[in-house]
Amino acid sequence: MLALLIILVPIAVGLVMLAVKSENVTTSKATGAIVAAATFAGALLMQSGGAEISIRWLSRPFTSALHFGATGLSIWLVLLLSICTFSAILAVNVPRAGAFIGHLLILEGTMLGLFLAKDLLVFALFWDLMLLPVFFTLIGWGRHHATAWRYFIYNFAGGLTLLLATAAFGVLYGSTDVIGRSDVHVIGSWVPWIFAGFAFAFLVKTPVWPLHTWMPLTYADTPPPMVAVVSAVQSKAGLYGFIAIGLAFMPDYLRDAALLLIVLGAISLLYGAFTALVQTDAKRVVAYSSLSHLGLIVIAIASFNVIALQGALIYMIAHGLFSAALFLILGYVESREETRSLTRLGGLGAQNPRLAGALCIAALAALGLPGLAGFAGEIVILTGVFQAGWMWSVIVALVAIVLASAYMLRLYQGIMNGPQVADLPVRPDLSWLEGIAVAPLVAALLLVGVNPHALTTFAQGFIR
Amino acid sequence: MNITVTGADWLAVAPLSIVAVAALVVLLGDLAAPKNVDRYLAIGIAIVGLAVAAVDCATGYGHDYAAFGAAFIVGGFSVVFQEIILVCAAGSIILYGATGTTERVPGAIALMLWSTCGAMLMAGAGNLMTIFLGLELLSLALYCLCGLADRSTSRESALKYLILSSTASAFMLYGMALLFGASGSVALADLVAPGLASNPLLWMGAGLFLIGIVFKLSLVPFHTWSPDVYEGAPLPVTAFMSVATKAATLAVFARFIYAALPAGVESALLLPVWIVAAISMIAGNVGMLAQRDLKRLIAYSGIAQAGYILVALAGETPLGLRYAIYYIAAYTFMNLGAFAVAALLSNDGEQGSTLTNYRGLGFRRPIVAGLMTFFLLAMAGLPPTAGFLGKILILSTSVNAGFTWLGAVLIVGTAISLYAYAKVIGAMYAHDPQHTRDVRPLAPLAWISAIACFVLLLVMTFYPLTPSNVLPLVR
Repeated sequence: MLALLIILVPIAVGLVMLAVKSENVTTSKATGAIVAAATFAGALLMQSGGAEISIRWLSRPFTSALHFGATGLSIWLVLLLSICTFSAILAVNVPRAGAFIGHLLILEGTMLGLFLAKDLLVFALFWDLMLLPVFFTLIGWGRHHATAWRYFIYNFAGGLTLLLATAAFGVLYGSTDVIGRSDVHVIGSWVPWIFAGFAFAFLVKTPVWPLHTWMPLTYADTPPPMVAVVSAVQSKAGLYGFIAIGLAFMPDYLRDAALLLIVLGAISLLYGAFTALVQTDAKRVVAYSSLSHLGLIVIAIASFNVIALQGALIYMIAHGLFSAALFLILGYVESREETRSLTRLGGLGAQNPRLAGALCIAALAALGLPGLAGFAGEIVILTGVFQAGWMWSVIVALVAIVLASAYMLRLYQGIMNGPQVADLPVRPDLSWLEGIAVAPLVAALLLVGVNPHALTTFAQGFIR
Repeated sequence: MNITVTGADWLAVAPLSIVAVAALVVLLGDLAAPKNVDRYLAIGIAIVGLAVAAVDCATGYGHDYAAFGAAFIVGGFSVVFQEIILVCAAGSIILYGATGTTERVPGAIALMLWSTCGAMLMAGAGNLMTIFLGLELLSLALYCLCGLADRSTSRESALKYLILSSTASAFMLYGMALLFGASGSVALADLVAPGLASNPLLWMGAGLFLIGIVFKLSLVPFHTWSPDVYEGAPLPVTAFMSVATKAATLAVFARFIYAALPAGVESALLLPVWIVAAISMIAGNVGMLAQRDLKRLIAYSGIAQAGYILVALAGETPLGLRYAIYYIAAYTFMNLGAFAVAALLSNDGEQGSTLTNYRGLGFRRPIVAGLMTFFLLAMAGLPPTAGFLGKILILSTSVNAGFTWLGAVLIVGTAISLYAYAKVIGAMYAHDPQHTRDVRPLAPLAWISAIACFVLLLVMTFYPLTPSNVLPLVR
């Protein structure tokens, strides 16, 4: 019951906020933050187990249930999602804040539905649903409508192959009520196609080169609080799918596709890193760095190694935390200076020490400073991938990690260091509310960085 | 052949009779009613008549009976289709209460009720004569209805519909004549004789008959009439045509392919139909991309949706038929809902259908825009609508029946359609501060219809009611 509640409450509150369209920023933020905090509390309660709910949905042509509950894997993503939503809501700085926060809450609810779904059909349902709030945000707040189309059509195309694959899976296995079960293995001449249908959706969503072209535009055009959640959590939906569906039910076919996935991951890793190095739009630097980081996680999953898989989850959480923090802080910069071009910005650090400090921590986490979560994820993944025998991809990853230092420092220095630019407006430093918004992310980065062990226990069930 | 007609036979057609009599009462009421309330009276009488007919019709569920020497067959199949047609008639007639056209509303409602009779007759038709009778009754009333508005486009629509629909009827009638030549009987039941499988007359007859069906369903390559006709016709008539005609024709088609073909001819005879369905799914959705008018958009959408429904029927599995019926019901509600919203926005039956009027609607009338978004999402097959579940059911039955290629085409078609639907949705929510909230007189009837469709689509998603015992009978 709790599982259903924490999905429905944010969606219901979000819909009400959309209908009311309050212009009162304080009330809207307070409402949104309370709901997000409540889902966090609910997720913590669910961590101890139980709280599942299952309602019969279809009995023909395959059985299916509205089945929700947490698994050892999904609970971490649920926690990440509620932290990121909480931070994003506090950091909202766009016009028509009430409606915007409504969209954020709907996004949270639909993604909670995705991660808590224990039925493939429910998973597919929420997969499509979670595209809508982002689409509406891009339409209502984005600069170019073309971005909204590109986001929606790419991701919905993925959603459709997911739907066809789910239908075929259901017909073949007789039930879609399978997520979280370890005794389900589908075999048959059709299964490679089913796997391909799932994999296409996951690769588009993650995204992985060459299916990434919707991503930099979307990230650049979406207002920072929304893109923080999209980049931090929605991009994990595909990776979660690879583990919870691909690895769990079709491991043999994932193994057959491993080389392809690792090559695509390695290309994303390098392509993202090199492109991030030359972007002048600060948000695009982070967008391409995401492409690079997520490529590493794809390699980790495809390498079929317990240690790499543990690292994959740690790094998924870490990437979620630091990319959310980066996007929120870049949002602060943009709202102050009305530009995010690295050629225009510079020298903000002298006037805004707190802002500089926040960006510094986030950038250091992203480049893999030991002690923060990013480092823990990277080192565990590299160990696992090395153990699995993919030597060359470890070397590629190391190159990309060196490049990560280069583009993250370039980002930081381009904004904060150097001489002050005369014609940039001088605005007050980070306010306490803006600080509170990023504080949970930084705290979680530290916590996971010093104690990543808690996130590793789920992996044994998946690699046999 | 001697047919003894008993009381039970008359009871079998009682729902049709109730609808036909309701039409007469509408005309009588028009004589008595004062000028400004006449259409509400007519709508009231019509809705009551349809409701009584629906209740009477529902009692026939589970009591299979072949009336008038199997000319009209009552059973789960015909009951379900007749109920859909009745709902569709009610949903269309209610729109007369919201559109601005003041003239000849009671007459139009009476015609629509008779048209409904024709559609119901088709749903229960057990021989070729009844099929044709129902088809002509449905179409004749529609020709008049299309031309009832005082606009040149309306007259053009009526003439175009008359000519093209008559052509389709001619194909169908010629096919029926050949089928009669092959079997020596008009009864569908006599077509299943095994000896007929190798008779060229049957193949030619069935082929021409199916061409007529494809024409009526406005599938590619016989689809070009529907956008023009839909555009010109008055809004309630378009709503009725887009659903009731399709439902009735699909009922005839399903009965023909499930029950009236000799064993062994299906796969070869019907393959062209499935190919036509596949082409329609692509062409209908591509055609939708360039439309600037809601009625034309829905016409093209209907071409593709009819293709989706045929995917469910491919392979003639019993489960496929149930899902086809589920999808037809969902399609009914999504179309009626969209037309109800268009009616809400109309002043004179014209405005609500131009897509430029939807720009900024999300800011002017948020609830109306929300409802429209929901119906468009349903057409696109996105959750949480019955369109989503309908798609997954159709996909799974296509995989089950060995027609996965049709499922794949459906996926491609849906991906194309998304742009067209999302374009309308995007226009509604694009921020456009110059539009302020507008206040228009409330049209309560259209509101009721739109909200009912919304609730039903939502409920159908999570309680998928797919009635069993709906296999069509021929005797």
